Amino acid sequence: MDPIFFHRNPDPATAEGPRQGLRVALQPNLAVAGWPMEAGSRALAGYAAPEDATIVRRLRASGAHLSGSTHMSEFGLGLAGNGTGAALRAGEADVELVLDLMGESRLAAAGAAVCGFKPSYGLVSRFGLVGLIPSMECCGIMSESLGGIRAVLQVVAGQDGLDFSLPEEPVPDFAPETVDPARITVGVVGEAQHDLGVTQEEAFRSAIDGMAGAGFAVRQVSLPEWPLFALVHRIVGSVEASSAAGRYDSVRYGRRASGAKNWNEMYLLSRGAAFGTLLKSYLIQGAYFQFERYGAFEDACRIRARLVGEMRRLMAEVDVLALPAVVSGPRGGEAADDASDAPDGVYAQFALTLFANVTGQPALCLPSTMASHTGLQLVGPRLSDGRLLALAEYLQKTGRGGN
Amino acid sequence: MEFEAVIGLEIHVELNCTTKLFCDCPNRPGDDPNANTCPTCLWLPGAMPRLSEQALEKASLLCLALGAELQPRSAFDQKVYYYPDLPKGYQLSQAHLPLARGGGVDIIDEDGSPCRLRIHHVHMEEDVAKLVHEMEGRVPISLVDFNRAGAPLVEIVTEPDFRAPHQAMEFLKALRTQVRYVGASECSMENGTMRCDANISVRPRGTTQMNTKVEVKNMNSVRHVGDAIAYEIERQGASVQAGEAVVLHTRLWDPDKKATLPMRAKFEGPTVPDPSVSAIELSREWIERMRAQLPEMPAARAERLVEQHGLTRDEALSLSADPESADFLEALVAEGVAPRMAMHWLTTQLLPAVRERRQGLGTSPVSPVRLAGLLHMLAKEEVNAKAARDVLAQMFESDRRPEAIVQACGFSQISDRGALDDLIDQVIRGQESAVANYRAGQEKALGFLVGQVMQASRGKANPKVIRELLVERLGA
Ligand SMILES: [Zn+2]
Repeated sequence: MDPIFFHRNPDPATAEGPRQGLRVALQPNLAVAGWPMEAGSRALAGYAAPEDATIVRRLRASGAHLSGSTHMSEFGLGLAGNGTGAALRAGEADVELVLDLMGESRLAAAGAAVCGFKPSYGLVSRFGLVGLIPSMECCGIMSESLGGIRAVLQVVAGQDGLDFSLPEEPVPDFAPETVDPARITVGVVGEAQHDLGVTQEEAFRSAIDGMAGAGFAVRQVSLPEWPLFALVHRIVGSVEASSAAGRYDSVRYGRRASGAKNWNEMYLLSRGAAFGTLLKSYLIQGAYFQFERYGAFEDACRIRARLVGEMRRLMAEVDVLALPAVVSGPRGGEAADDASDAPDGVYAQFALTLFANVTGQPALCLPSTMASHTGLQLVGPRLSDGRLLALAEYLQKTGRGGN
Repeated sequence: MEFEAVIGLEIHVELNCTTKLFCDCPNRPGDDPNANTCPTCLWLPGAMPRLSEQALEKASLLCLALGAELQPRSAFDQKVYYYPDLPKGYQLSQAHLPLARGGGVDIIDEDGSPCRLRIHHVHMEEDVAKLVHEMEGRVPISLVDFNRAGAPLVEIVTEPDFRAPHQAMEFLKALRTQVRYVGASECSMENGTMRCDANISVRPRGTTQMNTKVEVKNMNSVRHVGDAIAYEIERQGASVQAGEAVVLHTRLWDPDKKATLPMRAKFEGPTVPDPSVSAIELSREWIERMRAQLPEMPAARAERLVEQHGLTRDEALSLSADPESADFLEALVAEGVAPRMAMHWLTTQLLPAVRERRQGLGTSPVSPVRLAGLLHMLAKEEVNAKAARDVLAQMFESDRRPEAIVQACGFSQISDRGALDDLIDQVIRGQESAVANYRAGQEKALGFLVGQVMQASRGKANPKVIRELLVERLGA
């Protein structure tokens, strides 16, 4: 098995265009015509994409080279079995695309000491993406340089005639812009600082101090309902996943279990053999809320709307939120395997990142220079993606923010 | 104890859109299996639904035709259930926020009184695939045809306003007429473009409680709906009389046994909002634009046919139930044909002739202009009624003008007195006893003599002129 790529692109040719020379690795959950698209699951064994995803089509047209698709966790949930960052570390790609369901692209970046970015929900087409939580997922972008993230975002973002769900909003300008720290208020989320290790806490504090020193207005802010983000993500996310994964019936792709007496038994046996432990637990949880506790699901949807409203109010007071991003376990996701095959463990791991998936905000993670597996998360209001990148670039350039 | 039934209907109507609901594939389920498919309607991983504007327009017109109120905001949900005809695991349906609410259909009740049956809501949804069960040698296999998968459907859910089979049947007929009027669907229960499920419960007459209902499916005609409801009311009444509880379940109508039989329940789960299909937001202006596209509806048209053309109420109602016929009649009248004559020829001659030839009014070669040409000649007595019927038959065979057919085939009516004199002479000579009878005062004999002259003229003579000439010749 190739340690980096699940599928290596045998074709070195690229189109002429502004991104010629940019090498992009993606995950096998993004459709590239003719490539195997198994999304890390046996349920999709043998399935090849019939046509390019919109992201892929736009990257190809810009001249970028697709290096290949990397190994990934089942349907992108969590970091176990996720080879994310390996292509960057090995110098096989300049940018990696990583599905962000609850913070995967940001935590993987912190683990690999690179930058990770989850764009605003609705900014990037989902056409050709095999997802799991349609209302929260977004194609994340990882790169050693913020310029690499910008280069991809500029090409892939915006309206798509194949994805009608993208809201008709003006696409932000991602061009570099000047940053005046005196005019920017940074909100430090108090609730996100519990449970940090000593070095991680020091790294985060030094990043915040650095920003204050650079002239940013730094304020402590509070999200009293912080624990509800995880609860809402867990209920809504698992219900959506249960519904989305209902299609994996082993009939047209995947492996059909033998010995079933009828179609229902065939579904059960095939699905039982196809899905891994984490995904099974997650789907069962979703099915439980869907079929046994539907009222709880409806409550979660209502609470989600309330949380989005509270966040909007908060974002009217500050320009950007700052939070730590921490990968538990000494070697990041891979080492956290034991914690990662149960939903409890995964949700604990992503406690600091998943709120941005609930609200659809853009979120950027910069690697810390002081502590490994730690990063500084910057989160802006929806569609502030360009400003967020500019701010992060300013911090990197001036050496502030602990970077 | 006397029972009354409480009945509500759920009617699926397949919109006659050119494409499916969420992709550009042709909406032609009858084509070769799986001919009309793409990744979206094969429900393959990574495909995204794209709502068809035409489907939204047709569904909206249908709602307006039924007096339902289009909602400013509606949305699609994933209706979760697992069955091989739905290999996506969920159906996109507007479960929480329907396209329209309210509305209703007016019918005439069994006792002749007008009656309004209310609609609860109307929503859009996608159709599922079709399963074909075959044998591969000795092994039974099931094949899936995706041509129907994603076809645009509208579901009309009524209030439980119905008390009798008659009401359900009249409701379906009126609904069908109104939906056909706006051109949204063919609405044929026989062809499956209209499907009706009935929810039926019984209660002691005079009470208002809502008892456990039974759902009845699989009725393939309006008649079957009436029969199935009548059967089910009887069945439930008998079981309640016998002290048995009615349990919530689904039954299938068996038209051969003329009975409803219990079916195994389909596992059906709740619904999840689908973020992949944007909510539908309809502006007031858009709704008004749709409303402006509504044609004159059947009830209004029937009224106008009575007032403007002097048709009887029954004639007007039956004619306005079929927009094509009503259009044809009005086109004849516009060509100057007297409304009564137009109505008579349309219903007693043209429609049977078209049906016999398995054509439609719109596709038959007899256009309103051509038929009007013939009827003008009839009115001016240039042909008689019998010849006109023969000319009509010929008009199906060639596209010549009726005047030309009359000329070429010698159908012109002989009204020229000189030309008829000889024939009359012949008949008077040959039918002495009839002549004697007439002269003796038997009026009936005159009719016989007219007939003889007609026969001698091979049907071309003008009977009115013959009668006048005979009376003249034979003396009063
Ligand atoms: Zn299609």
